[in-house]
Parts: sequence; structure tokens; C-alpha cells
Amino acid sequence: MNSPVLLTDSDDASIRDAAAMLDSWTVELRDDRALAAAIEELTDLRVIVTTTENPNALRDIVDRARARSLPVIVGCGSDMARRRAIELRVDEWFLLPASGEEIAGRVRSALARMAPAAAALADRIERVEYEQMLYDYLTGLPTLPVMIERSRALIKERGELIVLYFNFVRYSKIEEIYGWEKLDAVLETTAQAVREFLDASVLRSSHVMVSFTNDDDFVFFHVPAPGVAAVTDAEITELVPKLQDHVAGRIETTHGEEIASLFEIYVGRAHVYYSPKIRLQRLIYRGIREAANAAKSVEERERARRVDDLRRSLRERAVYIDLHPILVADTRQVYGYEALARGTLRTLRSPEIMFDVAAEADLLWELGRLCRSKAIESMHARLTRGELLFLNVDPHDFADPEFSQLDREVASPERVVIEITERTAIKDYPKFRERLKALRERGYRFAVDDAGSGYAGLGSIANLEPDFIKLDISLINCIDTNFIKQNLVETMVRFANDQGAQVIAEGVERAEEYETVKALGVHLVQGFFLHRPSEHAVQRTGETPVVRPPDVARVASGG
Amino acid sequence: MAPASLPTVLVVDDNHDNADIIRQYLEARGYPVSVAHSGEEALSLFETLRPSIVLLDVMMPGRDGWEVCRLMKQHPAHGRGVRVIMVTALDQWDDKRQALETGADDYVTKPIDLPKLVRTVERNAAALQGAA
Repeated sequence: MNSPVLLTDSDDASIRDAAAMLDSWTVELRDDRALAAAIEELTDLRVIVTTTENPNALRDIVDRARARSLPVIVGCGSDMARRRAIELRVDEWFLLPASGEEIAGRVRSALARMAPAAAALADRIERVEYEQMLYDYLTGLPTLPVMIERSRALIKERGELIVLYFNFVRYSKIEEIYGWEKLDAVLETTAQAVREFLDASVLRSSHVMVSFTNDDDFVFFHVPAPGVAAVTDAEITELVPKLQDHVAGRIETTHGEEIASLFEIYVGRAHVYYSPKIRLQRLIYRGIREAANAAKSVEERERARRVDDLRRSLRERAVYIDLHPILVADTRQVYGYEALARGTLRTLRSPEIMFDVAAEADLLWELGRLCRSKAIESMHARLTRGELLFLNVDPHDFADPEFSQLDREVASPERVVIEITERTAIKDYPKFRERLKALRERGYRFAVDDAGSGYAGLGSIANLEPDFIKLDISLINCIDTNFIKQNLVETMVRFANDQGAQVIAEGVERAEEYETVKALGVHLVQGFFLHRPSEHAVQRTGETPVVRPPDVARVASGG
Repeated sequence: MAPASLPTVLVVDDNHDNADIIRQYLEARGYPVSVAHSGEEALSLFETLRPSIVLLDVMMPGRDGWEVCRLMKQHPAHGRGVRVIMVTALDQWDDKRQALETGADDYVTKPIDLPKLVRTVERNAAALQGAA
């Protein structure tokens, strides 16, 4: 095949440079009158680069090039020439003088744009998607097809393979609460921590591969090195809690303890023996299934144990309250505290987990009563300067026949703000509103929690006539660099101002996020950047020690 | 010649006239601009040109803007470095919510207000600088 031809009317050295950079293209030089005619004559012609100042000549060139589907690139000596080129819809233009590099770049870009010869294009997109399938884009780990191909020979040689299945239980919860950006960041940390740990474990000296199957489970393949005994069940059992501690520790330093407390891992194991009669893929998938089932049964045992823990906690009232300050955005004065109920038993420390267990065991009302009662106790004991208490109440709790017990315990309802989450669907709206009305008349105020987490917009919030609107955490995370989030929060603030409500931004973790929400007019703020939840009220209002959490500034940009 | 400091912009719109107007307007302000007229073309150019900013029309035949945005943001090599600005005729809460979920960074509404568009591009260019 002959080399591609670049046709031009300019004898400038930069055009020859460009042709050389384009993998030794041939340059055909014509004066501007002969150029248009040459377009129809030259075979192997790929692109026309002209610097003509003559508008009629340029129009002629463009028409003929278009007839042959060839791109025209115009070097413009003046602003006038540039405008003319754009009006004629030339494929690319550049200002003179230009370097060979720029001209070559313009040629490449014009060709890329002409290229949509559909087949080639579809091919390229497919390839990109295929590559994404092979390597997980977040963790950079090879996926199953890659792993099988790579290890085929090894497995045959050794004749056995150990599959470990890591089930991360609550990762979808992280996404639900904090948004996908946070989950992506947490997954990245997790993958790195797992690799780190395994590289330093008993599995180190052997051939080891990690892969990523669903969005929150890892599969780990261990092919023992020749002459080395396979890892025993006892060794694996010993390894798992250490791995869990290691990963949880890394997540805590990178993403904070709230997220680390959601971290739970169950590991199942399967031993696969190679058989030449069975396809390797099938053997491996069978092994994965077996390991996954083993992980599942570990999880179920653990669950049963937790339900027992919860029953005991309810009997012994083993719940304590952490107070998380809510501050006035402008002054950072303490405005109130959100009560966060935590289990005294280690397995129930995270409120998310504790309530999940209660939902499974059908003990939500009982747990709700205990938590409310403890929160009210702590308000009376610890919030001695009349600060507000923000109390989480699940909409289902209003149906609890003993809900009115709350009212008997509360000395001053006007100090209590009841937070209702927008996430739980409210089934019987009229009845629900009736209950709210009765409580409102007694002096209680209301906050809509997780506002803006769904698509529902502002209508459903307006229905509840809240005094406070608590923005969903996912809207605050990295709000400083995301202009859509800024716009949504701005809309919410305007809406709240019209309704006479105040907006609370929770999950403020970085100075940039604090500054951004303050500038957007958010009234109240809450988050690790300002205070961590603690058993004690802030000592002196006005004095708000700034706790800098570990650097999570690069979550969105990813470096 | 555009100053090297301004980021490359990829304009994606199936309407040739719209795309050209945006392109001229941005080029006049020194941005290197490329144009794609479909989602497929946009993804292919995204690979070869590696633009820093993508102006992405939502309503396109074939792969629509939401899908293209998601694919770009998930790109293993340059998904993290790109700022995607959605161009949409809709300005409702759920549209913005959807834009967020596909990973978009900003949006402009149609009919396009060109000076506003430039301000939008500028603030995303600034955000790129901040992240670098």
C-alpha cells in the first residue's frame, strides 16, 4: 500500500514536519488554483491542508473534498480567514504560524472524526467495554476470565486450588447512605488493604490471585507453590479476624469510624482438585459457589448470635447515647445535638447494624422505645443549658401503641426535634399527618432526614411541613467540586426559606465542604470536620475545636 | 493557536448547528474544541483526544447522554480526570439527581445561553486546576 497523501498549498516546513510525524505521509504541494483539481485526481489522498486567503478557492476546495469525504484543515493567517473557515464548516483550523505538532494533531483529530465508518467504531467501543470487564476499573484487580487464563497451567501442574470467598456485608449500605462516590473510594481502600494483608500472610509465598466478581465481593485464588503444603482450614480461621482488623483499621484511618463500623467481612473456603475430565472453568465456578455458601453460613451463624445479643441488650437496657453537635453555620455556636444510639455490646456498636438486626428479629418497636427513652434521659442529664435534642424516629414507630410513652418522659417538648427519614415510604399519609399534627400541638418540632436522597423532589418534603430539612449526606460529600450538588442544595435552601424552615447539612467532613455549604446559605451544619459524636456535650458553647479528619479530600478527584 | 493552559473541550450534540455554534464560541475564547455528533462518536473521540471537559447533550438517538456520561466516568484510564457537563432541556430536580447519579459534574440548560455556558466551562476548568 502506498503511503497516505497530505495535499497542501503551503510549502511551510511545519507541514512537512507534520507529515513526518504522521508516520511518513507523502506531501503533495500545489498552488491554490491547482489544489482543488488535485483533490479529484490524487489516489491515497487522506487530508487537505490549505492556507489560501481566497474565499472562492476555499469554497471550491471544501466542496470537492466533501464530495470525496475528505477532511479539510485550514491554516488561518487572520481572524477574517478563521471566521470564513468556520462558516464553511471546515473540519479543523489552526492559526498561523503553527508547529508541525499542532498540525499533525489537527490531522489526527479530523481523521478520527471522519472515521465513523461504523464498523471500526463499534469495534473500538466493544474493546473498551471488554477491557473494563477484564480489569475492575476501581480496584485494578483482574476479573475471573483473566484469572482463569493466567492460572490454567499452574492449576494443572499443582492439581489443586483453594478458593476463598470474601463477603462484604454492608457495602451497599455505604452507597445508600453516602452515595456511590464514597463507596468507590471505600472499595479502593479495601482492595488495597486486602492485597497488602495477603502479601504479608501465610499465603504470601505461593501463587495467589485476587479477583472481583459482584460489586462488593472478592474471590481469592490460592494455588500452592510446588512442594509447599496447602493452607489448612485452621490457618484460614486464624487469618480471618486479623484480616478483618487490618481492613477495618485502614478504612477507619482513611474514611472515619462511622464507615469503619459498617465494615463486616465473612470468609468461606473451598478446596478444588483438578480433574482433566471436567472443564477448568466449571471446576472453578463450582469452587466459588461452594466458598460463597460457606461464607453465607458463617454469616448466618453470626446473625443468630447478634439477635441473642440484641435480646440481651433490650433486657439490660444496654444502649448508650452519643451526642453529635449541630452548629449554626455562620458562628459555629452549638444549636443542638443529634442523639445517636449505640449498643453497649461490641457487636451492636453501630446503630445501622443494631437496627438491621432488630428489623430481622422483628424487635424494631422495642429497640425504638429503648433508644428514645435513653436519648431523653441523656437530654435531661447532659443538655443542661436548654439545647435542642434531635431524635431519630422511624415512621413505623408512630404506629407503636406505646409511642406516647415518649410524651410522658419528655419534660419540655419544645426542646425536642423529631427527625423522620425520607427514605422510608410512608404508607398511610393522612393518618401519619394526623399523628404529626398532634405532636406538633404539644410543642414538638420536625426535621426531614436524608432530604434529597431520592428523585421525589421538594413536594414530598413540603407535605410534612418540617421545621428543619436535613440534607442527604451524599449531597454534601465533595460538594465543593460538584456544581450540580451545589445547585440542588441552593434550590433546597431557597425552598426552605420560603417555607420558613432551616436547612441542616450533615456529613461535613472537610473545610472545603463547610465553606461551600456556608456560602450556599445552609443554616446549620454537622459533621466530623466540626465535631465528632461524643458522650459529652460540648463544654463551652462558642468554643468549637476543629477536628481535622484524615485526608479524604481526594475522594472525588482520585488524584 | 490556543494557549496550552486551556483544557480541551469535546462538544457532543447530534444537532450539527448547535454543536458548531458552541464550538465557535468556545474556540473564540481560546479553548481547543472537538465535536462529536453521536454517543458512539463521542466515546471514540474520548479515547483518542482525551478531552478534559465534555459538554454532553442528553437527548441523542442511540446511546443517550446519561449512558455516555456513565461510560466516560467509568473509563479505566481517563474517567477520573474528565469533567462532564450535561446539556439538558430539563431543569427539574429529578433530572439533576439523575445527572448526579451518572457521575456528571455540572449542567447547563437549553436553550443555551452562551455567556453562561462559557462561565460553566470556566468554573469546571478551574476545578480541574484545583484537582491537579
